[in-house]
Amino acid sequence: MSENIFTELYNKILGLFGQSAQKEDSKDVAVNRLRVVLMQDRTNLTPELLQRMRKELIDLLSKYVEMDKEALELNFEQEGEQMALMLSIPVVRAKDEEEIEAAIKAEEEAKKLTETDDEDDSEDDLDFENADDDDSEDEDLDVEDDDSDEPDEDEPSEDINSEQEEKEEEEEE
Amino acid sequence: MSGRVIVITSGKGGVGKTTTNANIGTALARAGKKVVMIDTDLGLRNLDLLLGLENRIVYTIVDVVEERCKLKQALVKDKRNPNLCLLAAAQTRDKTAVSEEQLKEICDKLKEKFDFVLVDCPAGIEQGFQNAVAGATEAIVVTTPEMSAVRDADRIIGLLEAKEEIKSYKLLLNRYRANMAASKDMMSKEDVVEILSAKLIGIIPEDTGIITSTNKGEPVVNDENSPAGRAYRNVAERIMGNDVPFIDFEEEAKVSTKIKKFFSKFLNKGKEN
Repeated sequence: MSENIFTELYNKILGLFGQSAQKEDSKDVAVNRLRVVLMQDRTNLTPELLQRMRKELIDLLSKYVEMDKEALELNFEQEGEQMALMLSIPVVRAKDEEEIEAAIKAEEEAKKLTETDDEDDSEDDLDFENADDDDSEDEDLDVEDDDSDEPDEDEPSEDINSEQEEKEEEEEE
Repeated sequence: MSGRVIVITSGKGGVGKTTTNANIGTALARAGKKVVMIDTDLGLRNLDLLLGLENRIVYTIVDVVEERCKLKQALVKDKRNPNLCLLAAAQTRDKTAVSEEQLKEICDKLKEKFDFVLVDCPAGIEQGFQNAVAGATEAIVVTTPEMSAVRDADRIIGLLEAKEEIKSYKLLLNRYRANMAASKDMMSKEDVVEILSAKLIGIIPEDTGIITSTNKGEPVVNDENSPAGRAYRNVAERIMGNDVPFIDFEEEAKVSTKIKKFFSKFLNKGKEN
């Protein structure tokens, strides 16, 4: 009983100094819900598009820093007539130079592949993960190269495919 | 003379557009300004009721547009204040009876004779809103500290920003419950201002006096003792360019509820023992 009075008194004093108890205030819920809904209203971005944007940002930034992907915050804020996109990500660890260089290199190669279909002389392992060619092309490939022993769905072009096969044949020889 | 045309709008219905219009208009007229209020809510007119002028309306804005009367004939003078006039909406017609151009023309004519033309906008963002905004160069966006009202206000602000004719807009936070804001059970004025990033022109506290004054058809600004009346008079001062500090209802409520709570706890404890 006396303990109750003391805790109550303690809370009272905290209250007097403007320190609220741990419970989440309903107005904070309202403010947070409003922020999300206004972000969608103002930008015409559906939740799916926002999710996609979020994922792409994570992919992009992951090359340079290791971050807490779950805690990434994405907000649109209106400052007068200007709308700002506020991005907040807790950084877990800075990546070292080698890691960053490797990530950039991997990406550049992937880009090169998608941009230049014909002249490709790289002998490294080709990273097709980021190549986003048309599905139709892949289907054509599948039909034409029935005997191909590489069931790679993301094959960017016929030329590269055949070139690579040639190289592999050469290496085998 | 070229007066200012201010549209009073909100998006959401029921947040107090018409009450705000009646009170700001009356307060400006009390301060000696010549004021005309235009009710553009065709088919759902109410501004006449709030001013107690419902029995004096002979001609409406539709009669003016359709040339059944002169603009001057349709202006209804307020009972108490000769500086204040109302151009009523037609109750029997719909939003299509008056066009944007026609409303703009009426506003342009009226601002030559009056210091302030206050346009009462219907709820929504359709043609009725577009019409009401057509002749205005300033806007007051009325909202309450509720999610739906704030969201709709944000939408309206977006539409106003896209209008070249609207040079400035201000936010009026209505039905503010300072005690609930202080206990974090309701959004505070800071929350609303931050979310909408708009400038405040006034905060009107929730006041039962609004209901009783509406019953009597008399704007609450005429009641010297009403907190809402005081807040509306301050809004009128700010519109006229006078720098009036905001009343800190929250601080008042904070202190009074703390004291009340403390004493009630104290008294209850005493009863238990």
